[in-house]
Amino acid sequence: MAGRASPEWYRNCLWYSQMRGRAVSWCAAVAMAGAASAAVGAAIPQAPPRPPDVEALLTRIDDLYRSTSSIARMEILVTGPRSTRSLRLRAWTRGEEEALIVIEAPPREEGTATLRVGDNLWNYLPRIARTIRVPPSMMLGSWMGTDFTNDDLVKESSLRKDFASRIDRRSDDPAGWWVALDVKPGVVGRWARIEMLVSDDLLPIEERHFDRRGRLARTMTFDEIKTLGGRRLPAHLTLTPTDTPNQRTELRYLDVRFDVPLPDDTFSLSRLERRP
Amino acid sequence: MPGFTMSRIAWRNLWRNRRRTALALAAIGLSVALVLVYDGLLRWESDWLLQTITGPMLGHAQVHAPGWRKTRDLDKTLRHASALVAAVEDAPDVADATARVYAPALAAKGEEGFAVVVIGVDVERESRPTRLLAGVSVPDPGRRVLMGRQLAEQMGVRPGDEIALVGQGVDGSLANDLFTVAALVETAVDLVNRQAVVMPIDEAQQFFVMPDEAHEIVVYGRDAERAAALAEGLRARPALAGLDVLDWRALAPAMVSLVDLVQAAWIVVLLLVLIAAAAGVANTMLMATFERTHEFGMLLALGTSPSRIVGMILVESMALGLIGALTGTAIGGALVAWAHHTGIDYAALTGGGPSSLSVFGMNWSLRIYPRLALVDVTRAVLAVLATSVVASAWPAARAARLQPARALRD
Repeated sequence: MAGRASPEWYRNCLWYSQMRGRAVSWCAAVAMAGAASAAVGAAIPQAPPRPPDVEALLTRIDDLYRSTSSIARMEILVTGPRSTRSLRLRAWTRGEEEALIVIEAPPREEGTATLRVGDNLWNYLPRIARTIRVPPSMMLGSWMGTDFTNDDLVKESSLRKDFASRIDRRSDDPAGWWVALDVKPGVVGRWARIEMLVSDDLLPIEERHFDRRGRLARTMTFDEIKTLGGRRLPAHLTLTPTDTPNQRTELRYLDVRFDVPLPDDTFSLSRLERRP
Repeated sequence: MPGFTMSRIAWRNLWRNRRRTALALAAIGLSVALVLVYDGLLRWESDWLLQTITGPMLGHAQVHAPGWRKTRDLDKTLRHASALVAAVEDAPDVADATARVYAPALAAKGEEGFAVVVIGVDVERESRPTRLLAGVSVPDPGRRVLMGRQLAEQMGVRPGDEIALVGQGVDGSLANDLFTVAALVETAVDLVNRQAVVMPIDEAQQFFVMPDEAHEIVVYGRDAERAAALAEGLRARPALAGLDVLDWRALAPAMVSLVDLVQAAWIVVLLLVLIAAAAGVANTMLMATFERTHEFGMLLALGTSPSRIVGMILVESMALGLIGALTGTAIGGALVAWAHHTGIDYAALTGGGPSSLSVFGMNWSLRIYPRLALVDVTRAVLAVLATSVVASAWPAARAARLQPARALRD
């Protein structure tokens, strides 16, 4: 492999090798729950075949798991061909730019934390008492061994900026609308197209990511709709990469509180190393 | 004893015109020497390509778990690696084999993280001559690693510094620990210099939670030229059933076309050198024989049969050819032997250029060590001998068929 041109290698040498994917989307939202409870239950259309306004729809969905601030507890289950692993997390978010995620279980990884401020991502590793910034070249690497990438934590807000969106077609079962997002010319990224299925009560059902060669790379499904933090949302998300059989990452929200005042130093490096 | 007499006359003829003989000997000798030196370079070039490509990284063949080569997934490992290495080494034509672990990781001296590849290697085997760590002083075990020099420069790491490595275990868990950089390494492989952290394979296996597992087994055969047969033989071993076994030509097709291209260019030049050598010999021999048309006319007039004249010339040119070829072999052989011993510094030849070249992800040493095989010598000697015999026998036969009076006049 010495002779192999390095781009291939380089790509493979990303932090956790399993997932290569620039994700936009929910995953991020996932890790950084937030919400404006006002939006819950709004806009239940009476006459179904009238397409919603796509901009408003995307804004609403962007806002679904996000708010001015949030504190969430969640559980991640990673199923791989060789093993199954579960993590319990606690996550704080403020706005679109700041997030702190701390692993609470299993004990071996307890206290491991990720801080996101803007485009920067740091990991704190309590075992060796080190804080390490994730380099840009590793943004497509897996986050903590899950199918989420580091990029998923950082790039969640670029969906509307990088993609041209439109209502694509009507779905009858389940009832809803397929929204197609095509990458704008000149935007560098992994996805050429994202399709999402949104129910008539404007909750996400499914999201498909197509790579630059037009192939389906991964699918995210949303279910178990319940009321969390005063807002109705799918609490269970499943991310399935297409090319790895028997591989998936599930994320389940256990509880969420929205619009909680957070101390200013929550999203700082010193706080990252000082576990609560 | 006509044959004997003929030989004596022929031998005496050779020394009658010393200038002519010396000229012919010089032409033949120089041609043989030239061809031999070129053969020596050609052989060095082919060894050099093969060794630079297969020696440190590729090996002659490799064994992987199915699918690993495409995705490089950490968990697509070869189980029972040490038993597999033993099974590979048991196969005929295998000189030795060594297991490696490749894992992406994040390395940091301070807060800045860098993408690296952790390569777990069998330190003893990889330290052998021409291998990955040839010439590297290997650190004592115990969380001590080697780091590629360019990577270290980029990270600002110096020997003795402590670095954090963060990766993912095969079981999905978080692998993180502190290691001491024992030394910086500059290998023949760019990837290693730019991206690698090298550690003993058992420590890598422990770090990435993959006991007795590996990603790659590198196999070295007894004969580098027979890599395809080597891979074929390994594929048939029951211990390796279901695994990917490929020879270096299949592993690095880009390298194969490079080798073929370079080889073709060299062979074209070899042909030109051979033609030039043969033309020089033929020219000298033709002139030397034409010059003697008058003498042949005299012999014909005295009643010598044309066939005896041709026979005499054949013996003469054969003797010339042999003496010339032997001298040429001595000169060429000595030149090649001397150059093989000391090596030719290409950098010095080109007036202080680089001593190695980094192309195709490899560092190519620019020190030239030519080498000859018996077949090269035989081929050069026979070719030049045949040329000199044909180039003298043809004008002799022509002269011998002339009317004596006409030949005398010429």
